[in-house]
Amino acid sequence: MNRTADQPEPNPLREGLSARPVPQPCSIVIFGATGDLTHRKLVPALYNLAADGELPPGVVIVGFARRDKSDDEFRRDLEESTRKFSRQPVRDEIWNAFAQSIFYHRSEFGDEAGYKQLATHLEDLDKSHGTRGNRLFYLAAGPDQFESILKNLKAADLNQTCEGSWARVIIEKPFGTDLASARELNRVVRNSFTEEQTYRIDHFLGKETAQNILVLRFANAIFSPLWNTHYIDHVQITAAETLGVGTRAGYYEDAGALRDMVQNHLIQLLCLVAMEPPTDLSADSIRGEKVKVVRSLHRWQRSEIAANVVRGQYTKGAIHGEPVLGYRQEQNVNPDSQTETFVALRLFIDNWRWADVPVYMRVGKRLPKSATEISIHFKKAPAVLFNKDLRDLNVLVIRIQPDEGISLRIHAKVPGTSFRIEPVKMDFHYGTSFGKPSPEAYERLLLDAMSGDATLFARSDEVEEAWSFIDPIEEVWHAKKDAPELYFYPAGSWGPEAADDLLARDGRAWRRL
Amino acid sequence: MICSPVTDGRGEDCKRVMPATAETYSLGAPVEIGKIEQELKRLWQDGEGAMTRASLMNLAVYSGKPGSLQNNTQLMARITENHACRAIVIEADCDADDDQVSAWISAHCHVSSVGSKQVCSEQISFLLKGGCTIQLPSIVLSNLDSDLPLYLWWQEEFREPMDPQLWTWVDRVIYDSHGWSDFRSQTRLLESMQEEANQRIVLCDLNWTRLDNLRFALAQFFDHPASHHRLTKISKMRIDFAPGFRSSAILFAGWLGAQLNWHIEEVKSLGELRFIGASARHIDVELRERNGEPVHEVALTSDDVEFRVTYAHCGDLLEISRTQNDEKGIPQLMPAGNNDPVGLISEELIRGGPHRVYLNALNCVRDLL
Repeated sequence: MNRTADQPEPNPLREGLSARPVPQPCSIVIFGATGDLTHRKLVPALYNLAADGELPPGVVIVGFARRDKSDDEFRRDLEESTRKFSRQPVRDEIWNAFAQSIFYHRSEFGDEAGYKQLATHLEDLDKSHGTRGNRLFYLAAGPDQFESILKNLKAADLNQTCEGSWARVIIEKPFGTDLASARELNRVVRNSFTEEQTYRIDHFLGKETAQNILVLRFANAIFSPLWNTHYIDHVQITAAETLGVGTRAGYYEDAGALRDMVQNHLIQLLCLVAMEPPTDLSADSIRGEKVKVVRSLHRWQRSEIAANVVRGQYTKGAIHGEPVLGYRQEQNVNPDSQTETFVALRLFIDNWRWADVPVYMRVGKRLPKSATEISIHFKKAPAVLFNKDLRDLNVLVIRIQPDEGISLRIHAKVPGTSFRIEPVKMDFHYGTSFGKPSPEAYERLLLDAMSGDATLFARSDEVEEAWSFIDPIEEVWHAKKDAPELYFYPAGSWGPEAADDLLARDGRAWRRL
Repeated sequence: MICSPVTDGRGEDCKRVMPATAETYSLGAPVEIGKIEQELKRLWQDGEGAMTRASLMNLAVYSGKPGSLQNNTQLMARITENHACRAIVIEADCDADDDQVSAWISAHCHVSSVGSKQVCSEQISFLLKGGCTIQLPSIVLSNLDSDLPLYLWWQEEFREPMDPQLWTWVDRVIYDSHGWSDFRSQTRLLESMQEEANQRIVLCDLNWTRLDNLRFALAQFFDHPASHHRLTKISKMRIDFAPGFRSSAILFAGWLGAQLNWHIEEVKSLGELRFIGASARHIDVELRERNGEPVHEVALTSDDVEFRVTYAHCGDLLEISRTQNDEKGIPQLMPAGNNDPVGLISEELIRGGPHRVYLNALNCVRDLL
């Protein structure tokens, strides 16, 4: 969000034209260029940036993958997928100009010579396309390839740049599978790139509403005095999806919902909700405050985990009226799988602001609807005036996806002679209020990486702290003795009853989505 | 889609016409001046469930051109697709003998990008006859959607007296200087208006907005620190502009002058002027009138490099290229934006903050305009 120290003096002609840091010419090298992420997200995002005039001149895309392919074949494949997945329709003239900057580099990830050739290729592109020695390496390959790629980048001196240029690496999640592997990954990354060069992408943070949490909290004085244990009863964070495991069983069987969603996306959202105001909007100020939240998460004793964390797995059921398989019947899933597709957690942040305010999180597959929301439930008003206990609390809801927006539930008198009070909802929809469509998260994040703004990327200490919170839960779940139960829920329901009990014990209930 | 005509100000008619693509633009239902809010309320009550009213600003449009109510209603139907607002559309016939005010209400609806609800902006239309100067402030001020900023799109030349009662309420005044007959007197009026408003009013010149994409395209050449030195070596600039858009071309030159600390040294002719920069370096500017887009090509020469931004053949794209020693680099395409009023207004409405750069540009070339 702010200009960082390694960014150059501003261009005087930019004044008043753009409030964001200016992205710089560079070569974007995508490892895993023939994969899904490249076709569905990365290249469509880059095309949209080009079509909106956000991509600076002198940006080239080099796809690095194992399959044999010519530049033209690669361009044709990408054109096909971009036409399918782009946010805006593809225009021939823009695509044709954009495609001239796309190249393919065939190599095995472990082949050192392939990286030397890549270095030569990039130098040629510097000369022909004005990429000025700037390199952005995007690791869209499987995590098992990261080490090999990073080592070879270093061996080919691609992690080094001449003065005035930069080299950065974007790493896709998962950032390890536990604390030990995350530390190992960070060590491997650090062997080749410094922390300042490393951008760990969490696409949730690129969403407009996630970014708006900071604006909502720190640009609106009305919320600031209420945002603490004195006025907030509890917080709920829900990330629900109707989809099942689909084609991701290979990964998901090992990961499960806790590692796949909670360790990164949900904890990141919680950080934005719970962090203290940063001293400024620089990447490190914001990330410094976020990491304090993760560090303050109450660590449950092993014996307390079953009472505070519920795991579940979907069985057969129906989604939108259509019958769907249970998780264990899905392709490539172990018929006796113990992998959780649902997690509900009750957690606390042990700091001054949030003492005794429970945060309930739930995430699951095959739930009745797809929605990611954060809700802040305020304490009840004293029930002395209206001769009744008000049933509902004031709730501030931040909708992350879909239908991004904010709503506030307040109480109002029902018109009439009696004094009947009912909750009403004040709603703000991004889609309704602002005509301009929000850019895709990847568009924003790629642009930030090109601009050297790491605010919306996770820092190594955030990742490690999050794993240190998750690891004890995983350990208990995988203990040979007395492991907490894996509950089952029919697809199309809101998860196992045990998840409802988690709140019911505190006299609360999940918000109805 | 547009929800008009609203023949009786009630929701039934409004809902009935909503699914169809509107091709005619009615002013809607006539209403009594004192009952506008009441009738608007009825309109929304009747449409509840199917329609969501959205508003981020009050957008008032003022014109003295006969028939402008219909034309501006048509523009509003398109503007509100992307900018939810309360539109206050005013046509003034100030020379009419009798003082008279007529009003209509209508709504512009379109399908929301999320869900199936119609998102609607309301419009209040006024035809003012006779004492416009007195009527205008009271009409605007009494029909504002509360707590929302007031943007006033002034489609006329400004003329005295400038009523401070109105201007102190305006947050942004939008105008298009390209057609001004006397730039200096208009600028003076604007400055007095700003003074009345204690400088809080933001001046939004669509003549400046139409240069946005060109400025953006040209600025990109100099983003990299290694290219900054080129800015200090610019020796020539050529701007091609369409007939009637000389002021746009001059503003463009003024922008470069202000941002790069150049000062006008000499006006050789209508088509030639010379700036002087740091270290007494001269920058020669050639202004060429050619048919095409308002400003359809800009070329800067810095040493052996020419930076060029020109309209591509497909019209809504800019081609930007850099030529060194007669060797042309790979051209890139960028959006050119729309030069129609809807495109310009939309561009202007998504902005915030004051136009400091515009004022600097204006000051740099004010004697030439």
